[in-house]
Amino acid sequence: MDQVIKYYFNTEILADTVPQLLRALVVVAEILFFALLFSFVGGLILALLRISRIRVFRWLAGIYIDLFRGLPLLLVLTYIYYGLALVGSEAGLDFLILDPIPAAVLAITLTYSAYSAEIFRAGIGSIPHGQMEAARSLGMTNTQSMRYIVLPQAIRVVVPPLTNELIAMIKDTALASVITVPEVLQKSREIMGRVANPTPLTAAAIAYLIFTLPLIRVASRLEKRFGKGTRPIGM
Amino acid sequence: MDQPLIRLEGVHKRFGDLEVLRGIDLEVRRSEVVVIIGPSGSGKSTMLRCINGLEPIQGGRIFIEGVDITSSKTDINQIRQKAGMVFQQFNLFPHKTAIENLTLSPMKVQGKSRSEAEQIARDLLDKVGLSEKADDYPGTLSGGQQQRVAIARALAMQPDMMLFDEVTSALDPELVADVLNVMKTLALEGMTMVVVTHEMGFAREVGSRLIFMDEGLVVEEGDPRVMIENPREERTQKFLGMVL
Repeated sequence: MDQVIKYYFNTEILADTVPQLLRALVVVAEILFFALLFSFVGGLILALLRISRIRVFRWLAGIYIDLFRGLPLLLVLTYIYYGLALVGSEAGLDFLILDPIPAAVLAITLTYSAYSAEIFRAGIGSIPHGQMEAARSLGMTNTQSMRYIVLPQAIRVVVPPLTNELIAMIKDTALASVITVPEVLQKSREIMGRVANPTPLTAAAIAYLIFTLPLIRVASRLEKRFGKGTRPIGM
Repeated sequence: MDQPLIRLEGVHKRFGDLEVLRGIDLEVRRSEVVVIIGPSGSGKSTMLRCINGLEPIQGGRIFIEGVDITSSKTDINQIRQKAGMVFQQFNLFPHKTAIENLTLSPMKVQGKSRSEAEQIARDLLDKVGLSEKADDYPGTLSGGQQQRVAIARALAMQPDMMLFDEVTSALDPELVADVLNVMKTLALEGMTMVVVTHEMGFAREVGSRLIFMDEGLVVEEGDPRVMIENPREERTQKFLGMVL
């Protein structure tokens, strides 16, 4: 027992680790803020293109979504940070050389846009076709019907799956450690190396759980509330 | 009288291999109440949906107030404002209150001010007997109330004609009368109406013309009171024998 406490819950090391991890959490929050915003907007646009009446749009969006759903985020991160930088320095294209945090935001956005596109598409698909027909029969254009009738209802449906996606995104920020982003996992490994004790990892685990556990609770409550067939949306 | 409000010329409609409408000709004149009956699958609802441009047709032409709605030059959104549609499943917008259901399109499509749209909406809700439900969401209303809001919503666009697609079929029997009464009032006010229904009482009392459809064709049409008593065609006799 003493050994367990010494190696995994060492209070001295914990006290030393926590302030440094707090700074790392700020970095995580920063990445999350932008990646979440961009990937939701990107996902919505992709979803609308995916169901567009224009075939080329449907086709391009479909390729994008399949591609990024099929690639490991770790590969995308590496590609964007190291891969682009390599090309950038060889070809003298400085704009391709990204700082670690913008690179992480870009990679997560690219990948998660594909995920949220599928969520938005399912959400839009869950709204009865009669809603669109009623809107069109009142003289609204396709765009107006989407904007005022279908999307406001679809947004409510997609809140629980999007919350789940946010939880996954929080955990995936740990992958940014491979491109030297000073986030929680990276920091804790660094400290672990210095103190030769895995307690910093415990601190990191706690840091992630502080973010994720409340959201997990929120997500399951939202799922119950917006669950299928419980009651009509909008009551 | 001037040109018909609605004119169908040899309308054909297919869903894949299934031919739902096999050459429909129809004219509806101002202030007529045309009641369409027929067995399920006869194409009567499909025809109504074609009139409102909700279903593309594969042959023939449809004119609304003389404008060919099948022409690619026609702005279908413009035409739809002339023909109000009421659906079997109400299709109210669940995220909007009753009055918002009525004001949305007049404001967004016709560019009416909020106060003007609300004035029209309140008058219409009053007309369908639901002025006290203006701020309620559809989910809290009974089926009959929802359908009356849906009628009011279509009327809020101040259309020249109204299309009713089996609007009482999804209602509990005791709620049907309220909806039919609203429709009767409209008919008495001179609204041009095309009504797909199974309510033979309504057809007899309000209809100016009765049309019996079967297998994508108009089998028989005539004065409702005469036709219900003395149908000429055998298929009409058989159908009326089952529903009366």
